[in-house]
Order: sequence, then C-alpha cells, then structure tokens
Amino acid sequence: MAKMKIKAKAKGDIVNVKAMFTSLMADKEEAEKKKISVEYITYIVAKHNGNIVYEANTSGFMSENPLVKFDFKGGKEGDKIEFTTIDNNGKTETGSEKIK
Amino acid sequence: MERRKFLGVGLAVFAAIVAPGTNLRAMDFRATMPKAWTAEKSVDAIKELYGSAELKKTDKIKFTAPKLAENGGSIPINIKSDLDLESVALFQDANPRSLTVVFTIPVGGIIDYDFRIKMRQTALVTVVAKGRDGTLYTTSKEIDVSIGGCGG
Repeated sequence: MAKMKIKAKAKGDIVNVKAMFTSLMADKEEAEKKKISVEYITYIVAKHNGNIVYEANTSGFMSENPLVKFDFKGGKEGDKIEFTTIDNNGKTETGSEKIK
Repeated sequence: MERRKFLGVGLAVFAAIVAPGTNLRAMDFRATMPKAWTAEKSVDAIKELYGSAELKKTDKIKFTAPKLAENGGSIPINIKSDLDLESVALFQDANPRSLTVVFTIPVGGIIDYDFRIKMRQTALVTVVAKGRDGTLYTTSKEIDVSIGGCGG
C-alpha cells in the first residue's frame, strides 16, 4: 500500500505544508526501460475544512515519490488537512494530518 | 450458461473499479485537454492547454531551479508569485511528453510551490501562468542535466 507522509505547521495565519507520496512515477518509456509497471499520480488535492487549498494535475515526469511543499492562509493549529491522490490506474489514496 | 454468467460478473467488477474517483476533481485537465498531455514540444503543449493567445514575458513569477542539475531524476523547482493567478503549468523539452504539472490555484491562495521533476537531458523549462483576468504570463530557464533521469 502506498503511504503518504504529511507535515503541516501553522505560523501565524499561514500554514506550511509538506507532503510526500509513494509512487514510482514511471511513465511509459521509463517503465519499459526499467521493466516495471506504468504507475504515476495524475492528481493531487489537499483540503482544509472542505475547501481546496492545493490542487495539481501531474504527469509521470515528476520525480519518484513526489515531495511537494506549499503554504496556505486561514488554517490554525489543531485543524485537519486532508490529501487525496489519484494515479493513472484510477487508484485513490487518502491521508490526513492535524496542523501543528 | 455458466461461462456467460462468469463473464457478466467480470464486467460488473471491472466497471465498479473504473467508475469511482473521477468526480473528485474540480478541474480535470486530463479529461478536458487530453491533447496537452501527449504533445511532445512545449510550444504545442502550451497551445493545447492555454490556446494561442500571446504570452507575456514577466519577472513577477519567480521560477527557481538549479542551473546545473547533477541528478536528472530529481530536480528541485520552486514557483513563486504575488500575481492573482488561476493556474500555473510547467513544460519541458527533455522528455517524451512536455507537460509536467498544472496547478489550479484556489482564490486567495499563496503561490509558492516546491516540487521535483525528472529530465532526460539539458533542455529549456517553461512556466506558463494564467491570470484571473485571462492574461498569459511566461518565464523560462534552461537547465543543464549531467546525468539524465527518467530512465535515460
């Protein structure tokens, strides 16, 4: 099972978020060469209180086990941030973490 | 009869696996603009994604990347801007397909994105952003890659 690592820290009214997802991020050509299956995340979304704070459509040319960082306004300590990713096979992964 | 039943069950299961997950997205560029994801050259991919409107060169989008990347498998990129943008996309000419990532920016969102990309060889990397007023901005940088990532 793929795993997700999330870290979120509030600084004033801005929250710094770091997240790492487990995925080979191998597109067709790379998968053929390394003899692995084609697998890459196509969509990443992060929500805070039901509002989207981060949204990205990705391709297989992001690095393996993608690590992303971003900031957003309006979060505070104790709030929850939720991530959902979808890969090219349609598999969905979710993870959540409390803001520290 | 038996076999027919088995086939029917198989199909139903397949449909159940494929169906969910698609309605989660607010902006699904893959479904709405499939051609942008298969274009080989940045120029074509940009046209597919943003249309052929004029691109305005800007220094208000800060695009940070190493000049020389030792490991093409993991090149750290940062995109920062104070402009009111709707979406930001990154294109490169090093890989079989150009479009790497598209961010949809929520209203009032802070644009400060860090992520890593793969590049097969030295190439030009272009960032194109669309403002909420429809203006297209662009900025680009050449990144030298000494050891290619992406299985190269």
